[in-house]
Formats: sequence, C-alpha cells, structure tokens
Amino acid sequence: MKLLVCIKQVPDLESRFKPDAAGVWYNETDLAFRMNEYDEYAVEQAVQLREKLGEGTELTVLSIGPDRVVEAIKKALAMGCDNAVHIQDTAVSAKDPWQIASIISTYVQGKNFDLIFTGMQSQDRGSAQVGVTVAEQLGFACTTTIVGFDYADGTVTAKRELEGGIKGVVKLKTPALVTCQLGLNVPRYPTLPNIMKAKRKEITAIPVADLLTADLLATTTSFHPPAKKGGGIVLEGDVGELVDKVIAILKDKTAVLR
Amino acid sequence: MFLDLTEEQKLIQDTARDFAKAELEPVAAELDQGDDRAPLMANLKKLAELGFMGLNVKGEYGGSEAGVIAFSLAITEIARACASTAVTVSVNNMVCEVIQAVGNEEQKMAYIPKICSGEYAAGGFGLTEPGAGSDPSGMSTQAVRDGDFYVLNGSKIFITSAPYAGVFVVWAVTDKDAPKGKGISCFLIEGGTPGLIIGKEEKKMGQHASATNELIFDNCRVPASAMMGKLNDGFRIAVAELTGGRIGIGSLALGLGLAAMDHATKYSTERTQFGQKISNFQALQWMVADGYTELEAARLLLMSAAWRKENGKSFAKEASMAKLFATESANRACYSAMQMLGGYGYTQDYPIERFTRDVRITAIYEGTSEIQRLIISREILRNFS
Repeated sequence: MKLLVCIKQVPDLESRFKPDAAGVWYNETDLAFRMNEYDEYAVEQAVQLREKLGEGTELTVLSIGPDRVVEAIKKALAMGCDNAVHIQDTAVSAKDPWQIASIISTYVQGKNFDLIFTGMQSQDRGSAQVGVTVAEQLGFACTTTIVGFDYADGTVTAKRELEGGIKGVVKLKTPALVTCQLGLNVPRYPTLPNIMKAKRKEITAIPVADLLTADLLATTTSFHPPAKKGGGIVLEGDVGELVDKVIAILKDKTAVLR
Repeated sequence: MFLDLTEEQKLIQDTARDFAKAELEPVAAELDQGDDRAPLMANLKKLAELGFMGLNVKGEYGGSEAGVIAFSLAITEIARACASTAVTVSVNNMVCEVIQAVGNEEQKMAYIPKICSGEYAAGGFGLTEPGAGSDPSGMSTQAVRDGDFYVLNGSKIFITSAPYAGVFVVWAVTDKDAPKGKGISCFLIEGGTPGLIIGKEEKKMGQHASATNELIFDNCRVPASAMMGKLNDGFRIAVAELTGGRIGIGSLALGLGLAAMDHATKYSTERTQFGQKISNFQALQWMVADGYTELEAARLLLMSAAWRKENGKSFAKEASMAKLFATESANRACYSAMQMLGGYGYTQDYPIERFTRDVRITAIYEGTSEIQRLIISREILRNFS
C-alpha cells in the first residue's frame, strides 16, 4: 500500500508579521518556520497507519517550497515517514491553492498512491482548498476535517467534526484523501535517534517547473494588518459621576446590565 | 566559517523547546515550591524516551549520537522552562559520557543503556567531598582492596539526583601514599548497594526539584570489577569529564538568562509608568541591550566549545571560558530582569524570582568561576612561559 502525506512549512504564529515589499504577502525575514499544525496531525495519522500495516507499506512525505522546508520534511521523516519529495519552489507564496493542488496532482499521477493525508488547512493562508482540490483533480474519494480515523480492507472510516460539536462518520473506498483536524491525535515528538537516522532517508528533489502546468486562478492583491481601532475611552471626573458614566456605557454598549 | 545549525540540530532544538513549553514549564513553579517530585520523575522518563539522556552517546549503548552542539542546545531549551530538570539531564549525560569514555565493554553495556532509556531515572557523579570541593584531589574517601573486593569508607557531598540515581560514578583514594591526585581510582557503584547510604538532602536556595544529597560509604563492599579505568588513574578521568559537564552548565545558565530577559523585556513593553511604557526609558533599554549582548556572546562561546569537543579538538580552555562567561552573564541577566520588573519581580507571582535563585549555583557547581579563571589563565600562561 502506498501512502502520501502532504505538509506545508508555515511561520510560527507567535511571530510579528509585516507585509512584504509588494504588499501581497508577509515578509519572511526573521520569521521562524515550523510544520503546519494540521499537517502534524496528518503525519501522525499516516505514521500510525504505516506502523499498523507494517511491511509492504510505503509512506512518502511531500512538501513544496524553498530549501528551508527540508527541515519540516526531516521532521516528518523523523516521525516515521519512509521517504520524501521536496518540490523546490522559491516563489511558492505567489501560487494560489489551485496551482499548489495541481502541482501535487501532477506528481501523484501514475504513482498508485492509495491514500493521501493532508492538513485541514494551512495556518498562514488558511484556504482549506488544497486537499479537496487534489482529490477532485485525481478523482479520489475525499472527506474533510476528520477527528477519527480507521482503515481496513480498502475502506477508510473517518469521523468528521461538524458544526456545533456534532460528529459524522464517513466511509470511503480507496483511493482516497482525508484532511485532518485538531483532535484527531496527539502528534509524537520525533525522538533524537530518529532525527539523526532521518539523515539517511531519501529526499527526492524536483524543480517545480517540472510539475507546474496550471495557471493561476486567484491572485492575492493585498496583505495588511487591520486598521487600528480607536483607543479606549478615558473617563474623568469625581467618583459618583464616573460610576454613572460607566453604568450608562455598560447599558448602552453591552448586555451585562440588561 | 559557518555559524548556522544543521537541520538535525534545529530539529533537536525545536523538539526540546516544544517539549519544555508543553511539559516542563507548566509544572516548574509547582516543582520549585512543593515536595512532590512525581512530575519531575515523569518528565525525566519522557525525556529519556526521546533520547535526551545520551545526546553524545553511541547508538549501540542507547544514545542518540546527536553530538555536543545538540547537547548544548537541548540543555538551554530545557533550562528556559525548568532548571532542575535541566541539571538532571546535564548530569545524566555527563555520567553516560564518562562511562563511555573509560568503562570497559561490560560496564558500558550494563549502565549506559539504563540511563539512556530512563530505566534509571538518573546517574550520580560522586566526586565532591565536605573537605574537597574546588580541590577534589584532596579527597579522603578511601577504597581498600580486600581479596576480590574493594571496601569504601568516607562521604561525598552535594551529589545531584542521589536518592533516585541507579548508578554512581564514585572517586576514592586507592593509594594514600601517592602524590596528590595520583592515588585516586574511579568506581561504578549501583544505588542500593549495602553500605552506600543516601544522606540528608540539602535545603538549597534554588533548583529545588533536583535532589542534592550527602553520600555515605560505611564499609561499602564492591567487586573489584566495579573499578572503571586503571587503578590510581581516576583523577585524570574526573578532570576530563568535568570539562564536558561545563558546557552543560553554561548552556543551562544561558537558558535561564534568556528566559529571564525574554520575560522582563516583554513586561517592559506592557508596564506603564509616568504615562508611558517603561521600555521607552533608556535605563531599561540599556539593560535589554546589555543582557542580550552578553547572552549572545555566551551562546557563541558555548557553541565554539561544543564544536571543538564534537570535532575532537582541545576544548578545556574554551569550555571554562564558556562556563565562566555564560553563568556570570546569566546571573547579571537575572539581576537586571528583576530590576525591570521592580517589586513584582521579587514576588513568586512572576518566574524571575525563581530564575534568580536557580541561576546563582551555576557560577559555583561544576567548578566555581574562580576555578574556571584558574584553568583559563593556566592554559594561556602555558603558552607564554
């Protein structure tokens, strides 16, 4: 059985983001990068399945981006993926979800993957489109935002999170693609010996030009912080007067005194 | 010249940071104040399973083969969250390394895997005595040969992790007539050996969760095969291994200094006095600048010493320089951090108070600052005479 997990490297969300020179994406200088949180759930689930199925199963991790994404790839290898594909692209942030999905689909075509895991969405772009688009392009069965997973005899049983805490269970025949949500599992820390051993696992590098055939369908035209809201209201006067003002504001602007 | 970390080193640093933030930081204050060591024990076990107890140890003994730079990075990240955990990890690594360096195959296989896997919560390093601190060659614990055994009598003091150490590396005088330092041998003694008594636990200023005890040898009989390395060659081993341990303690101090400065700097951007953020005042800006500059210099000294050790170069002088500068810089950083928080910094509502207590010992254990200066100057003067 052939498994694929697609991961993205994203900035640490505690970073301070500044627009880049063109004002269409964030400036990468000084940002610390790590594996997208939802992709960690995807890797963990894929590795668990790989461990359950044992010999004869191959788990590949794929990532698109500049050289820095190799660190995220190596983490996935240290967590238990067998080998990796690094699609080299120094301009990945300029591509839309359609193009990213097309690159992945072009790579996957003809390679007989049975099951693909992706994160539900990336923490930076957050489109939640790549996984489902890949499935559509490949004609794979697909379900999203899974919080439970099981596989047996060519059938995936996935528990999905719906609005309002309601859960649903979906069964899919392989080939299939699932997108993974918080709550699916607790990703393991890669052990240090496995981090060191991951050095010996194969990472195939492919220039993005070899796989890019689709045109851009959507362009990000602006990246900016929200306009600053006005500061708080500073009340002045003696205490009795202040209390009346505060009560009036609470009645007017909030529900606490109604 | 290449100053960047490898991807493996970055991943180890990230793993240590993620683990420290998720598992160590939430219990650090509670471990500092309480008597329950269970959370420490649980975390030591997890750290062992992840491979943090034998960073610079070969895979065949259960180590991670990650190297000395990775060791330094890991200790710094762990210490940012919990210095007590960090010192335990640092000493465990040192014990594994000394056994790897001088033990025979049987000794290596008997003990290193147990420390690396967490089967032993810790290993002990039994060198210091009540009358032999900075001058360990003046020790008085004796090991007397009796047939196929050695019988130890005497006591050690300030032994990290003693109540839960599975094995101790212990130094004792085997030839009391030999010139100073020439009649000491090294032994591997398992916890629970009859005659090995764990004495009173010290009440310390900081690093509370890490136990520090007296060790008493009362006619403690060990087989002659417990000797590690050659007869009367033990002191040289101790000196060599303490050198590596200094990188660990310098890295630990760096973690504390960075944690204190990060906390205080963030606070200074939130706290308002005289109608403005206190980070607007030059007095605090200079504390921020000096604190981080010194810690960055300390980091580079540590990386240099670690790199030299990892690459088989001499590193005694560099390790002492790194230990001296990192621990004293970290003490200054904690002092500044408390100034920046003012009265709040002195309370236990903020972690600076704990960092300040935890950091003080780093300029004392594994060789005081004064001993480091002695080593550094001796190494330098040697080239001028």
